[in-house]
Amino acid sequence: MKTIAFFKPNYRAGRIRRSLAAVQLLLAPLALVGFPALTASAQGGQHASGVFEIGAQAIGVATRESPAIDGRTLTEGYLTQPMIMAQLDPWGGLLSLKGTLDFEGATIKRGELNAGIYGEGYIDRRHPHTYLHEMVLTSERRFGGDGTNGVSITVGKGFSAFGTDDPMARPFEKYPINHHLAQILERAVAIGALRTGSWIFEGGAFNGDEPTSPGDTPNRNRYWDSWSGRITFVPWPQGEFQTSYARVKSPENPDGGGADQRKQSASIRLEDVQHSGYALFEWARTGEYVGSTRTFAYTSLLAETWARYDRLNGALRIERSERPDEQRLVDPFRTPVPATDLGIAGRSRWTIITARAAASLMNARALSLEPFAELARARVSPTLRPSGFDPRQFYGSDRMWSVSVGAKLAFGMSHMRMGRYGVAIARKPDARMGGMKMEAL
Amino acid sequence: MRFTILTCAILTLACGSDNPVTPPTGSRALTVFGAGLVSDRYTGEIWVRGGVAYTTTWGNRGAPGNAVKIWDVSGDVPTLVDSLIVPNASTLGDVQASDDGTLLVVATEFSPGSIMIYSLANPVKPQLIARYTTALTDPGVHTAEVQRVNGKLYAFLCIDPRSGSPARLVIVDLSDPAAPTQVFTAAMGSPFVHDVFVRDGILITALWNEGVTIWDIGGAGSGTVSNPIALGNVVTVGGEAHNVWWYHNAVTGEKRYAFVGQEGPGAIGVSSSGDIHVVDVSNFASPREVAFFHVDGAGTHNFSVDENGGILYAAYYNGGVRAIDVTGDLSSCGAAGKSPDGRCDLAKMGRELAHGPGGMGPVFIWGVQLVGLRVYASDMLNGIWKLGPVSFPPD
Repeated sequence: MKTIAFFKPNYRAGRIRRSLAAVQLLLAPLALVGFPALTASAQGGQHASGVFEIGAQAIGVATRESPAIDGRTLTEGYLTQPMIMAQLDPWGGLLSLKGTLDFEGATIKRGELNAGIYGEGYIDRRHPHTYLHEMVLTSERRFGGDGTNGVSITVGKGFSAFGTDDPMARPFEKYPINHHLAQILERAVAIGALRTGSWIFEGGAFNGDEPTSPGDTPNRNRYWDSWSGRITFVPWPQGEFQTSYARVKSPENPDGGGADQRKQSASIRLEDVQHSGYALFEWARTGEYVGSTRTFAYTSLLAETWARYDRLNGALRIERSERPDEQRLVDPFRTPVPATDLGIAGRSRWTIITARAAASLMNARALSLEPFAELARARVSPTLRPSGFDPRQFYGSDRMWSVSVGAKLAFGMSHMRMGRYGVAIARKPDARMGGMKMEAL
Repeated sequence: MRFTILTCAILTLACGSDNPVTPPTGSRALTVFGAGLVSDRYTGEIWVRGGVAYTTTWGNRGAPGNAVKIWDVSGDVPTLVDSLIVPNASTLGDVQASDDGTLLVVATEFSPGSIMIYSLANPVKPQLIARYTTALTDPGVHTAEVQRVNGKLYAFLCIDPRSGSPARLVIVDLSDPAAPTQVFTAAMGSPFVHDVFVRDGILITALWNEGVTIWDIGGAGSGTVSNPIALGNVVTVGGEAHNVWWYHNAVTGEKRYAFVGQEGPGAIGVSSSGDIHVVDVSNFASPREVAFFHVDGAGTHNFSVDENGGILYAAYYNGGVRAIDVTGDLSSCGAAGKSPDGRCDLAKMGRELAHGPGGMGPVFIWGVQLVGLRVYASDMLNGIWKLGPVSFPPD
């Protein structure tokens, strides 16, 4: 527990540098300890479920978006999703620790161009995640001969039992814009899970407030004021059907008093036996409530697929999501947190088609390098008329293109499938998809 | 002919989505004298003095809300004569001239929050005197009420909250407009303090879900501007207390009622919610809500009261301007005019006198001000309207 306390940063009030230094000091010996396990895993040709595993990744990417704002084309470069992931499981699941440090707060503080995305004070740029992205303790007990059935409990900071996998663990570098409709993350969570046969039941409580900066931590006075539940049906190992529901208290006003959210999600996730193909179909809806009165609702439909052939892989995503349009700051890619009232400027519907091609150039020992290119076409239209947000006036067009070229460098432990803990995921993460590397159910 | 029918059908369908708010039978149309169109920005608050009107701008309509438009309103049709551009601002949510007409104060959002203080030596060419900004005016000044207390001019600034920093009130002494000085600040509001009303040494703060609080700042003998003393509080039904007008009936001298605006959820241009709450403040220590006014499909924003005529003009966003009869005893009504919780329902009592502007397409009225024999309204979608006032129908 002391390790957790040491990991848990508090970057408020100018303590960011000091805390980062502490993290770096901690990671140095961890890397040394973890390296033998990494080497053994890579050489063995299969994923070892070791006592301790560690990995890291980062993506260098250049994005050109046209028009990005006011009829202007913007071209920018980033080091995005720089992360260190670690897992400590000394007692075969009885008590395990899983953590992810995310350094986007240092590398994409201005946000990453991502047409249509919004949340946590950013709009049309993806916000950086918190430095302590995930740090959870899980205790699980498996039953039955094959170890499929079981119960688990998870506490710490991480994903609530809601929705689909984090986009960071999915094929595309650019996020879908439904991130804040389809996942609830970086919260203080307590989750219980039960798996029996093909069914997984999860329920948990968490703090409703969203992070307000990379160094933010869940507000203690908001702990457990929100809850979620998820039911997953796994008819065969590569098929997963989930539906989930969440009640989130005042997510966008950390001190409370803002609109509450009621969130729904349903999805189908498919994967072939060889882990060379994957598909996700997702529906999500968030209704905003003042008391018991629903004020606005935002719906998302998303389909994405990925396939690998030898060293090449490709992906396609089609998304149609609604988002709230809010007042903007002097920096037009930012919005006030919290908003100054319960109103919105408008609501827009975004239809985005994204295609991706990538190649695995290096996959030796613990290192992998994957250059990629992504092309996206977005169309936006207001759903309320007249509106306080007119896309044509604001962007200069209601259609926009985005091209991204970059490379992902990964080291060590596979990028974990993010969003599930304990018996809600497989006991042994032995499914690796080049370029995705997910844990299988 | 077929094309015409098709066009009409399309327009009908398009207009049909504009969430029309139907005024009640008996509510007359306010006379429209003219309008000044603003299409490059969304219009915010309005202030009129003499033959000049100042309108602020809000949000981002391609161009940011960093402009104050200056209008000649001496004729029927407001004419744009000039604009001020405020640097480092994305919304100018409030504007007001001082009672002596020498200063114009504009509130700015977001980061840095500030007030801009202009000289009105030439009313159509305001000259910047000072920009007042401190750590306590961040991330934004939502409203700035300029009032005189015991002969001294002050600005009462409602500051937006941000994570880790609650909403607050900051009171600034404007005796030397070139060097404003803070005389009071306190965190208040849950989660916002959106506006205040100052009169006769009494300060009334609109504290959202905490309702309204009445403070003595020199009018009741114990408080001062630098040391306000809370006298009483009432949480109006539904909370979301946004703005206040303490009504002094010029005919009877009665000072019994304060009108509290509720700002519920809404979407600019298309929807709004929130009622006007009538609070009996005859006893400052125990104010109580006695009546309300509701418009189906629309919510209220800012007010202006004809205190000689007993008519409240309320901005009602997509419901336009509503003129409401506030004469007499608002706490007394028959069963037909009473709501289940015992409050009098002014709409059921038939107190809406007039509405407008109508027949001009969608409007979204932010502010309203009665000046002389005209009513001026700021419209987020269209700009500024000049309307005729309403009078009571002959008995």
